[in-house]
Amino acid sequence: MTSIGTGYDLANSIFSPDGRNFQVEYAVKAVENGGTSIGIRCKDGVVLAVEKIVTSKLLKPNANKRIATVDRHLGVVYSGMIPDGRHFIDRARDEARAWRDTFKTPISTADLASRMGGYMQAYTLYQSVRPFGITAIIGGFDSTDEPRVDGEVGTGPSCGAGGKVAGKTHGGPFLYMIEPSGLYWGYYGAATGKGRQAAKAELEKLDLGGPGGPSLTLEEAVKEAARIIYVAHDDSKDKEFELEMTWISGPDGPTKGLHQEVPKALREEAERLAKKAQEDDEDDEEEDVEGKEKMEE
Amino acid sequence: MFRNNYDNDSVTFSPQGRIFQVEYAAEAVKQGSVVVGIASNTHAVLVAIKRNAEELSSYQKKLFPIDEHVGIAIAGLTSDARVLSNFMKQQCLGHRLTYGRSMPVRTLVEMIGSKAQINTQHYGKRPYGVGLLVAGVDDQGPHLFEFQPSGMTEEMVAFAIGARSQMARTYLEKNLDKFADCGREELIRHGLRALKESLVQDRELTVDNTSVGVAGLVASDQDGTTKVEPFTVYDQQEVSAWIDSVADDKEGGASAAEGEGGTMEVDS
Repeated sequence: MTSIGTGYDLANSIFSPDGRNFQVEYAVKAVENGGTSIGIRCKDGVVLAVEKIVTSKLLKPNANKRIATVDRHLGVVYSGMIPDGRHFIDRARDEARAWRDTFKTPISTADLASRMGGYMQAYTLYQSVRPFGITAIIGGFDSTDEPRVDGEVGTGPSCGAGGKVAGKTHGGPFLYMIEPSGLYWGYYGAATGKGRQAAKAELEKLDLGGPGGPSLTLEEAVKEAARIIYVAHDDSKDKEFELEMTWISGPDGPTKGLHQEVPKALREEAERLAKKAQEDDEDDEEEDVEGKEKMEE
Repeated sequence: MFRNNYDNDSVTFSPQGRIFQVEYAAEAVKQGSVVVGIASNTHAVLVAIKRNAEELSSYQKKLFPIDEHVGIAIAGLTSDARVLSNFMKQQCLGHRLTYGRSMPVRTLVEMIGSKAQINTQHYGKRPYGVGLLVAGVDDQGPHLFEFQPSGMTEEMVAFAIGARSQMARTYLEKNLDKFADCGREELIRHGLRALKESLVQDRELTVDNTSVGVAGLVASDQDGTTKVEPFTVYDQQEVSAWIDSVADDKEGGASAAEGEGGTMEVDS
C-alpha cells in the first residue's frame, strides 16, 4: 500500500501498470492525518462525533464547528483537509435542496450518499482536478412514514406491482461513509481519520448489527461515541482536543427527526464518563503490571 | 533547487498526502509584514505594520474596510488581497440589498474560504498568496477570523500573521485571558504591544508605519440597547497617542522575546 508509483503518481486519473490510481491513494493519506471522526447507527437514531485537535491556544473555544447540517434530517462529519470538507458540505447542501425542489420530498440518506459518492468519484477522473482529501461520514434519519404513491387512490393497491407489503417498515436511521475514491458503503459504525484503527476496534465491540437490529439506544450511543473518541486520541503524541457531537433521532425521539448538536449537559456527562473509563483502564493496566511483578517474585 | 516532483501544481498530492503548492502559498503570507487582531466582548481590533519600498516612498496599506461592520488586515500578496477584498465588499453589499441587514462575519469568511478552496483543487489555478485577519461585529458580538491560502478559516480570540508573527502570537498567548474584558483602548494597546514583539531590531512603531482598525459594539445613550461602532481605520496622527501609550512599555517585552528566536526572518 505504501509503495511509491514511480512516474505513474504525478497526475490524477493515471492508471499504473498494475491498475492503481496513486493520486487517490495519496488523498487517502491526507485523510489519515486528520482528527478522528466516527458515526454510530443505533436503535433510534444516529450519533456523529469528531476529535478536533486544538492547533493553537488562540483559537476561540467551541466556536469552530466541524459537523454540518446538510438538510433538516442529515448531518455530515469528515476527516482530512478541512477546506475540502467545507466544499463537500456546500455541494451536499445543493444536492439536498435540488432534490427537494425536484421531488417535493426530503432526500434519503442513501440517495445523498449516492449523489455525493458520484461527485467525489468525478474528481478521480480528470487530470485537471485532484481527488478530495477527505473521508466523509453521512448520518441521517429518513421519514418512517409510508411514502405516498403517485396518483394513489385511497390506501393504494394491496398487492402486485407498486403494491404494499404487510408489515414492511420504512425509513429509520442510516449511516454511510464515502472515501476519496468515491467508494461508499452503509455502516453500523464508521470511523475515519488518525485514530480510526482504535475507534474501529471499539465500534466492533458494540451491539450495532445482528439480525434483531442494534440494541444500543441513542443516549448510550452518545456516551460510547465520546468514549471512543477519547480512546482513539493519543494523549502522548497529539495535542489537546475538543469533542464535538451531534445526533439525529426519529420523530418521537429527543431531536424530533432533526440533526442537532448534542445538548451541552449530555455531552459533558458523556465526556466525564469517557475520562473516567480511561482512568479506570489505566489503573487496571498498572495493576496488571504490579500483579505480574509479584508473580515473578 | 527542486524539493521534489510533487510541488509543481495544486492538483498533485505528495505520497504523504500533502499539496506543496498550497504550503508554498502559506509561505507567501510570511513574506508580508505583520498584522495582529484581537477580539474582546465588545470590540474587535486590527493593528498592522506598514512597509515602504524606500525612504521617500509611501507606505503600503494593510487595513481595508469591507462594510460598515467588517474590516480586514492583509499579509502577503497585496493584489490577491484586493481581489478578495472586492469580492467581500460585493457580497456584503448584496447581502444588505436582499436581507436588509449586515452579513454575519462567519458567513462572509466562509465565502472567501470556499472561493480559495477551489483554487487548490483545479489545474491552471493557483492558491491565493495572501492571509487575512477579518474583524467585525454582528448580532453575536465581535469576531476575529483568520483566513489562510488553503481556504482554511478559523475563529480566533487573538491572532497574528506575517513576518516574525510568532513573537506576537507568543505575547497574545501570554495575555489571552485578559482580552475578553478589555475596553477599547486597552485592547488596542495590547495589539500594539504584540506588534512591537514582532518588530526587527532598531525598528519602532511610528505614526507613519502603524495602522489601527477598530469595530465594536457601544451602549447607546438613551436606552440599554447596543449600537455598532463602524469599522474605522486610524493612521498618522490619529494613532500617535496610542503609540506613545505603549512606548517604553517593558511589560512582557524582554521576557516574551525569547523562546522563538529560531524563526528569524529578514524583514526587507
